[in-house]
Amino acid sequence: MSTDSTRSPARPAGVRGWLGSNFALRPTDPIEIPGTRMGYRPQYLLRPANPLFIWASLIAALVINLLPWGRTPLVPDVLAITLVFWNIHQPRRVGIGAAFAFGLLMDVHEAALFGEHALAYTLISYGAITLHRRILWFPLGAQALHVFPLLLIAQLASLAIRMWVGGTWPGWIYFGESGVGAVLWPLISWVLLAPQRRPTDRDETRPL
Amino acid sequence: MDYGPPPLFNQGVSARARLAFFSFLAIALIIIDSRVRMLETVRVGLGVVLYPMQRALLVPSRVADTVADYFTSVTTLTRENEQLKRRQFEASQSLQQARELAVENERLRKLLGARERLGNAAVLADVLYESRDRFARKLVINVGINDGVRAGSPVIDDGGVVGQITRAFNETSEVTLLTDKDQSIPVQILRNGLRGVAFGGAEPGTLDLRFMAPNADVVDGDVATTSGIDGVYPSGLMVATVSRVERAAKDQFARIVMSPVAGIESNKHLLVLLVEPAKLAAPAAAVAAPRKGARK
Repeated sequence: MSTDSTRSPARPAGVRGWLGSNFALRPTDPIEIPGTRMGYRPQYLLRPANPLFIWASLIAALVINLLPWGRTPLVPDVLAITLVFWNIHQPRRVGIGAAFAFGLLMDVHEAALFGEHALAYTLISYGAITLHRRILWFPLGAQALHVFPLLLIAQLASLAIRMWVGGTWPGWIYFGESGVGAVLWPLISWVLLAPQRRPTDRDETRPL
Repeated sequence: MDYGPPPLFNQGVSARARLAFFSFLAIALIIIDSRVRMLETVRVGLGVVLYPMQRALLVPSRVADTVADYFTSVTTLTRENEQLKRRQFEASQSLQQARELAVENERLRKLLGARERLGNAAVLADVLYESRDRFARKLVINVGINDGVRAGSPVIDDGGVVGQITRAFNETSEVTLLTDKDQSIPVQILRNGLRGVAFGGAEPGTLDLRFMAPNADVVDGDVATTSGIDGVYPSGLMVATVSRVERAAKDQFARIVMSPVAGIESNKHLLVLLVEPAKLAAPAAAVAAPRKGARK
């Protein structure tokens, strides 16, 4: 409606926080108050996500997955992480349907059974949407701990399907991919949130 | 939209309902794909959409390869080498068959007459990439339906059989390697003509010669070639050498482990043999014989 509303300093931030998920307060590292043992977390007001950027990042993640990785071990499923990210941050834009569609594209590429990735991505997408109100109150490291089981669920779903139709046991190192993915979570969230952290107009004297 | 309030009442379909719907759809797709094999056309169609992207993504690794080539040798030498490799490669099929022919000729002289031997049409293919699929051993090569490749065509290299085309797209196709757990190939021990069927091995990168009696005449170092009785693989192609034979009295069968002759892990060029579908229908003659008798 009004692009100007971010620029007008009249409305206090707290009210905006109630208005939309995009204005929700985001945690960062705590800052200690000198002389006390107390601290507080300064919270950024994020700009709204650009839908073009959302879809471009998802397609970029798909492209990274399509690179000829061959049998290199411990390559994480970047598309799954990106889907989880947008499911958590923009659940109204990127939902279970999008996850399903990207899963189908992965199935065609990876010579897998049709629907294998689609099911895995549907499950993690549901998990992410269920967690999305809770997860953002944690710092990035703790968020990664939430993301790890989600990625593991996707891998277990793939594993169960393939073992059912008679696949080969891929070895324990297979589950390491989820671990690498969780480790990458802070980096990926930082990169994907960067455009929203950009100030509307640069002002050296303003703290935000 | 982003500046407006979130819809408080009209939230759309609940996440749980969506989960149920899409999981059901995915499971239905899995079942249809694994049991009925009805989705091949859909897959080929989506493959056409993804193909330009896949090719573009191969460019970086190709460029890296080319640069590496340039630094290891002079460019012209590389090209010449490549041509020679190709030529040698195209001749390799007849070479492999010739080796077996010599042995078989000797045997046949004692028995019957020579058997008719089929020369196969073939297309040369480059390996595009190895599938990232961690549950199966598959390669993707750069020839497809448009080059006459069909699902089922055998794939060889200069050493021996590599595998079989399991899925053909318009421009690319998937090769399932012999070492894949679900892959099987009828073989014959070159030394004594003993026939058997080799399956992808329990250990990675090996083949198992299953269902051989504990006293079967197979020893370490025996060479197994295709027997040709399935009508898919032409006979006489090198498959594997026996690397280990275990005979336990309590087991019904001997445990025979073979290692593939072809450079299954390290191939750049492959040869796809175009087997005609007519030759696949070999058992028809056997069925037709008694019917003739009945008519008379």
